[in-house]
Amino acid sequence: MSTENKDEDELSIPRAALNKMIKELIPNIRVANDARELILNCCTEFIHLVSSEANEICNKQSKKTISPEHIIAALDHLGFGNYKEDAEAVLEETKAVAAKKRRGSSRLENLGIPEEELLRQQQELFAKAKQEQALLEQQQWLQTQQALQQQQLQLPQQPDSNEDDYS
Amino acid sequence: MAGVEEMESQTDDKENSSEKIVKTKEKNSNQDSEKLMKLPLSRIKSIMKSDPDVTLASQEAVITIAKATELFIWELSKDAVHSTLQSKRKTLQRKDLDCILDTRDCYLFLEGTLD
Repeated sequence: MSTENKDEDELSIPRAALNKMIKELIPNIRVANDARELILNCCTEFIHLVSSEANEICNKQSKKTISPEHIIAALDHLGFGNYKEDAEAVLEETKAVAAKKRRGSSRLENLGIPEEELLRQQQELFAKAKQEQALLEQQQWLQTQQALQQQQLQLPQQPDSNEDDYS
Repeated sequence: MAGVEEMESQTDDKENSSEKIVKTKEKNSNQDSEKLMKLPLSRIKSIMKSDPDVTLASQEAVITIAKATELFIWELSKDAVHSTLQSKRKTLQRKDLDCILDTRDCYLFLEGTLD
């Protein structure tokens, strides 16, 4: 993707995504291109700001991975505490959706077959299928050979029809 | 899935058939995050990682920042539009963004960005 060609410093959220959002927010207002560019840059700065602050909070807690709680604390420290509620709500929704997914796929597990066993069974089935395929191909080859042989046997008995073919 | 169909009808015809399939598949797998997220998580993660000091961030942390960024855009745009309307214009311009920086303490970090 094009991000590989971009300098890390040039990374920003995609314009199309921003344009869509702005259109939803202020449909009746036109936005100058350089204003859009500016908003994009502000977003990048915002992300850096919050990650940086969250990183510090994370380090202070002697943790290695920045958690959503660190982000939310960072937002608070930086004066964006009013984002807390919505941010937490989205997190809850994401967790709920993920939990739903797990419940859905656990139907497999309810068969009483753990994943490793399923993998093993799958390998067995593949091997079996390969064998059957090989057998089938062998049989087909034998049949073709037999058909060829029969043709060769038949040829000398019909010389006339052969001559007809060549005329 | 009505929203998905609406979007698909806007794509070019020549790419329609294959894009439809790809889009539907992608939307099905990202359906959950797409419903909630307006910004691509991968890009946000890349921006975070471009800071050498920032260590690992969990997927949920990226989601949280993504949502915060959406809210930031919303607030920034909303504030800037006030300035646009006050000036009796219909187009949001850079100067509207310049204007609002002084209005909130939390925008102080943007001072350098406008140069």
